[in-house]
Amino acid sequence: MATHPTQYAHPEALVETDWLEKHLKDEGIRIVESNEDVLLYDTGHIPGAVHIDWRADLQDPVIRDYITPEKFAELCSRNGITPETTCIFYGDKANWWACYALWAFRLFGHEKVKILNGGRDKWKAEQRPMTRDVPKYPKANYPMPKKRFDKEIRAFADEALAQSKADKPLIDVRSPGEYKGEITHMPEYPQEGVLRGGHIPKAKSMPWKTATKDDATFKPASELAKIYFDQCGVKPDTDTVVYCRIGERSSHTWFVLTYLLGLDNVRNYDGSWTEWGNKVGAPIEKGA
Amino acid sequence: MSKGCGKLDESGAAEIRSDGTYPVKLNKIINLFESLPEDERRETLVSYADNAKKQEPREGENFNLVDVRKDEECMDTVGVYLHVDENGKAHIRMTLGPEVQTLTRAMTAVLCKGLEGCTPQEILDLPSDFVTRIVGAELIRIRSQTIYYVLTRIKSICKVYLDRQRMAQVA
Repeated sequence: MATHPTQYAHPEALVETDWLEKHLKDEGIRIVESNEDVLLYDTGHIPGAVHIDWRADLQDPVIRDYITPEKFAELCSRNGITPETTCIFYGDKANWWACYALWAFRLFGHEKVKILNGGRDKWKAEQRPMTRDVPKYPKANYPMPKKRFDKEIRAFADEALAQSKADKPLIDVRSPGEYKGEITHMPEYPQEGVLRGGHIPKAKSMPWKTATKDDATFKPASELAKIYFDQCGVKPDTDTVVYCRIGERSSHTWFVLTYLLGLDNVRNYDGSWTEWGNKVGAPIEKGA
Repeated sequence: MSKGCGKLDESGAAEIRSDGTYPVKLNKIINLFESLPEDERRETLVSYADNAKKQEPREGENFNLVDVRKDEECMDTVGVYLHVDENGKAHIRMTLGPEVQTLTRAMTAVLCKGLEGCTPQEILDLPSDFVTRIVGAELIRIRSQTIYYVLTRIKSICKVYLDRQRMAQVA
């Protein structure tokens, strides 16, 4: 039977804009901006925030994968982040890339992570302080993570296929048009090189935006539970896989399921449709 | 007669290509960006983006063609305004919706300044390979491909203008 919590499983994983403005200079936190717009941080950011670029900082420059544990340690160290630092992520596009960066930090085992509820747009709409000054923090000494938690929070194509065949929860968080195969690009975006449209067989469509209110803050736990437990068939005792096109929108849903609904067995298939829609022989369903 | 939306160089050299490929003004911008280290390139791009608003139509300006629309694959409305003066030189103005990304804003300012005074045919013939020389390979990625969109829209309005000119001549 579906559970319907009345509060977030991990309310500490969210900070509100009002709280953050009062704690900008707190010891032990690092505010991290991560955006789709590659120059947005340069045009102004929350005072003290560092910039982590989802592509240049978190992804391997050559092969389609994430950086090594060694590179992650370097990234954190140069931003003055230690394993004890609480990283508060925020960004544009309702926190897509903030959630992606948070998920990538979890991939390397960094545990103290939070999201700024409503992200950059809410902060700006509330006319809170912004600056172009780039902060400098003393270099830290982040130890090289012993492993990457791929097995725990990341799914690969064969695992997404296994999820489909086993009829386990598989959530497609793209737009309805992408899910149905009517379009092969994200609405309002250019083509990203996908040859086939549609979705992974048996995947349920639940666009990422369903989890947010108009101001990009997250919906209450009870509403999220209805969406994911009742409508998507997600269950606490069954593992779930989420996907989109390149893994950023599904990181948003991964955050909702993991931190707001408290599921500990959700994996993000970051290869997503740009892999599946090009993969020779991958089964595809079209239509609603 | 319509009021022009821009001026030619004093020398009238805006339309002359310095290396057989790019208009002089655009070539200067390309050379500037290529001389900059990465952090200064970013700063300069942001500076150009800050100036994108200055490329909007000004009061009293008239245009031969106006193309304002939101395409399905673009995040917001983009308006292109073309004035071709009595010497056949094009002057471009542009409006951008608030959702348009910073890099695209920067490219808008670059193109409006760099193509000032070119003929519509010269704009149409312009290769797009200079974009990476300005932006740098580091910032070109799937989600920033819309920087090419601005050039496409400018070329599109120039093509419509030239097609109409040809049709008028035939008639």
